[in-house]
Amino acid sequence: MTGARQKLADERTRNRALLRHVVLPTVFVTVALLGGVRVGAGGGALVFVPPPLVTLVMAVMLLSLFARGGALRVGRWLSAENGTAENVSHALTLAALFLASAQAFNSALPEAGLPRFVLSSFFLWTLWQNQFSNFDPRRLLRSLAALFGTAFFVKHVLLASLSQPGEGWLGRLAASALEGVTLGTLGGPAYAAATGYVSFFALALYVCGLALLPPAPRAETRTDDADDTDDADEADSRAAELVHALRLLPERERLRVLEASRETEKEGRD
Amino acid sequence: MRLRLIQWLGIAWTILYAAFVVWLYAAAPQSIGEVGTRASVAAGTYEVDRARFDAGRELFLREQYAAARGEWERADPARRDARTQFYVAYSFYREGWGRVYNDDALFRRGLDAADRALSLSADAPLSVEDEGLKIHSAAELKAELERGIERTADDFNPLKVLRERK
Repeated sequence: MTGARQKLADERTRNRALLRHVVLPTVFVTVALLGGVRVGAGGGALVFVPPPLVTLVMAVMLLSLFARGGALRVGRWLSAENGTAENVSHALTLAALFLASAQAFNSALPEAGLPRFVLSSFFLWTLWQNQFSNFDPRRLLRSLAALFGTAFFVKHVLLASLSQPGEGWLGRLAASALEGVTLGTLGGPAYAAATGYVSFFALALYVCGLALLPPAPRAETRTDDADDTDDADEADSRAAELVHALRLLPERERLRVLEASRETEKEGRD
Repeated sequence: MRLRLIQWLGIAWTILYAAFVVWLYAAAPQSIGEVGTRASVAAGTYEVDRARFDAGRELFLREQYAAARGEWERADPARRDARTQFYVAYSFYREGWGRVYNDDALFRRGLDAADRALSLSADAPLSVEDEGLKIHSAAELKAELERGIERTADDFNPLKVLRERK
């Protein structure tokens, strides 16, 4: 019985290691590759667009948001308690995450013109605003998926239809709604429809990578007891965050929370 | 032990894959097929397709210049072979040459190809021994093409029609 349990624990540790050291870097580097790929409208020539400066700034803000929201505990990923190889591998994963984030923005943002300016400002404002609000990692992931989804729709559905005005109901609708607005103001270089598919795949892979990314890696060589200790550490850390958030609340709201907490405790005793 | 192996394997794989991505962005191949060509150039294993090159040369000698260039394009898709680029430049020269006036657009394209041939043979002067050609060095061909583009008073010399194509 103990042998079977030990085997299960070994499998679990190995799978976690494979995810962290092989799967996650592969996913993020793939996103970094595909995020800048465009397919030319004419002959289908591939175009590789390196990350522009604005997307690098956005990636820095996003990673800082991950750190603030508790989705990424950098201190645990890069720690003196980890082995050398573990730290090197983690550093590479984080670097890949940074580049993947920059390229995900690059993939979702329009290429040029007014839409690029508007959506870049929108992204920057959202990321800046979120730096000062309390975040739950899952909520952060959902909000990011929505943000990227909106940008993707604008670039690859709306603007792509505008660049081919006679084709499709959306194109005709948009063309008549925006009659008089020149494509010089709206557009950028025209790309083939395949660009949208590549971008969709890149963004989907990016969100999957984020979903798979653990906030803090567990130590490699461990027993079930050590796992329990990690869980306890995580609970402690969450409790500390809650206490901190409670202190930041205005007095009236804080009293309400404390009252609700007391009531919950009382109900639990009854 | 196995965990350590996974860690090092992950590090090696990530570095290799990231290097490949950086190389892709630097080389910027325009198609999937070109990725292989660029990779073989980077690895130093790139070679011109000899059969296609010879087929192009035969077309060139029969004055089928556009078709010859098509064959040479397929023989040297990365444009990394100085000799092939010399022939491409020569085909532009011969096609663009005129007894009364030269086709400047073709001469300019020929000049680009001659420049490529010269830059690819930076170590030693490029000289092509071929009985079917009258110009044998890339530098001479480049000078001939440049002379063809230039506007001089000599262009109005009626005796110009007596000159020979090289």
